[in-house]
Amino acid sequence: MKLVTPQTTPINGQSIRIEGISKTFSSHGGTMLAVDDVALSVRPGEFLAIVGPSGCGKSTLLQIIAGLIPPTSGRVFLGDKDVTAQPAHMVYLFQQYSKSLLPWMNVEENVMFSFTHREQLSKSAARDRCHEYLQMVGLTAFHSYFPWQLSGGMQQRVAIARALAAEPHALLLDEPFSSVDALTRLDLHALMLDLWTQKRFTAVLVTHDVDEAVFLADRVAVLSHRPGRIVDIVDAGMPRPRLPVTTHQDPRFIAVRNQLLARLLTKPDAADVPAV
Amino acid sequence: MAMVLPNHASATGGGKPTRPGAVAPAAKRGLVAQILDTRASGILLVIALLLLWEATARFGWVQSQNWPPFSAVMVALYRNILSGELLAVIGQTLWVTLRGYLLGCGLGIVIGFAIAMWRMARLTLEPTIDIMRTIPTTAVIPPLIFVFGLGDPLKIFAVAFAVVFPMALSTASGAGAIDPIYTQVARTFGLPRSYVLRRVYFPAALPFIMAGLRTSLGLALIVTVVSEMIAGNSGIGFYLFQTQYAMRVTDMYAAIILLTIVAYLINRLFLTWEGRVIHWARTREAT
Repeated sequence: MKLVTPQTTPINGQSIRIEGISKTFSSHGGTMLAVDDVALSVRPGEFLAIVGPSGCGKSTLLQIIAGLIPPTSGRVFLGDKDVTAQPAHMVYLFQQYSKSLLPWMNVEENVMFSFTHREQLSKSAARDRCHEYLQMVGLTAFHSYFPWQLSGGMQQRVAIARALAAEPHALLLDEPFSSVDALTRLDLHALMLDLWTQKRFTAVLVTHDVDEAVFLADRVAVLSHRPGRIVDIVDAGMPRPRLPVTTHQDPRFIAVRNQLLARLLTKPDAADVPAV
Repeated sequence: MAMVLPNHASATGGGKPTRPGAVAPAAKRGLVAQILDTRASGILLVIALLLLWEATARFGWVQSQNWPPFSAVMVALYRNILSGELLAVIGQTLWVTLRGYLLGCGLGIVIGFAIAMWRMARLTLEPTIDIMRTIPTTAVIPPLIFVFGLGDPLKIFAVAFAVVFPMALSTASGAGAIDPIYTQVARTFGLPRSYVLRRVYFPAALPFIMAGLRTSLGLALIVTVVSEMIAGNSGIGFYLFQTQYAMRVTDMYAAIILLTIVAYLINRLFLTWEGRVIHWARTREAT
């Protein structure tokens, strides 16, 4: 895998600004506050991770950022566009890769599905672009396979290629590495960083895996127990390129990880003071 | 049958006691059980029934002028196909079936998607469909004669009427059962509705649509034949009544045999086609 230093490639991503996002769900006559007044700013081309205990509303927050569900209050901006008013060019990478690939399309069709209709490309130009991204995830040889013929890790690679082939300004990752085995996960981490370094999109990753968050991200935001609010933002700060073995042994990595784990493992009542 | 029972009894209960749960070795099983447990047994039964038909007619076990032996029917079938008589008749029937089937299924698929995709369409159409689909198609044929007279339009309409509602319902349940993640995937890529309908909703509903198409195919053929009988001036249903009135019993049975063969082949062809169209759905279930 070739390693490109972040400084050499131009930034393609746009900034994301989240202003006072709250989300209330109502069910059975009662209401439940899932996300409570979250404000966040993501720099163009930055890799931000959001960690939090399960049920803290982090996926809800990400879906609001993506424009998949509307917030109860607050606004989200991509660059200077109000996303809550009109969906913008962001792509959401789903946790359930096996279901997010369309089973009736082969790998190539799945990847082309993301951009051919938006952009008036000739057949050969579309195919070239598809194969460019398939090559990045190492699946060129499998372009005519159907999803069920691929392993879980390969299916998620296809989903990643499809997301990036749309060339979004921001990529929103909803625990996309949580349902593959541990080795495949490390493999996909390295792949994701490599792609991010090449394309410099803005990335927001939601996860409950602290190691994953610290390994991938520039900054890690910590979400409290429900209702989710941001209680801390930590700079990961290890040098890039990051490598599976060496980065995990980096004293900085270990320090940040321990700090975050301590933050997450405190009781809900104690962690209630917003740090931002 | 009297021979089978003791055999069967000795193979399962009457023999020496074996270890509980042990499967009796093949050699200990009765001959009949061994034969029935093969792939050929299904075809053997068909052959046996045809032989029974032949024997009952040939040896006078059934005393009737209207029970020709199977072999005589096959000779008549051969003769009537060569003469072109039966081919013309079955051709008329299939041509009506095809037009009514395509019309009804096409309409049913459109209505089904409308119901699944638009609340307004569902609220408006669903009660009507629920009522209409309970009406036996055969019951609407006599009044329809006033509208269409005798002839193909009447029969085509009857066939379309019979298949449109089941087709609409299976399409609607297919499009309604779509996994929400597919629509979210489509939304995250900002794809227009018409494109999503074509590339996501339609294929997602396809297994249901294919099941509806397969059931409708049999239904369409039945309704064609029945409407030819009620209001016919052509086709195999009319031919069956004609030959019955004229006491041309052998020709009548030959027509039934031909209809059976054609229906069977159509169904087999359909299954092959279905397997190709939704190959991804089959293999998905298997894994």
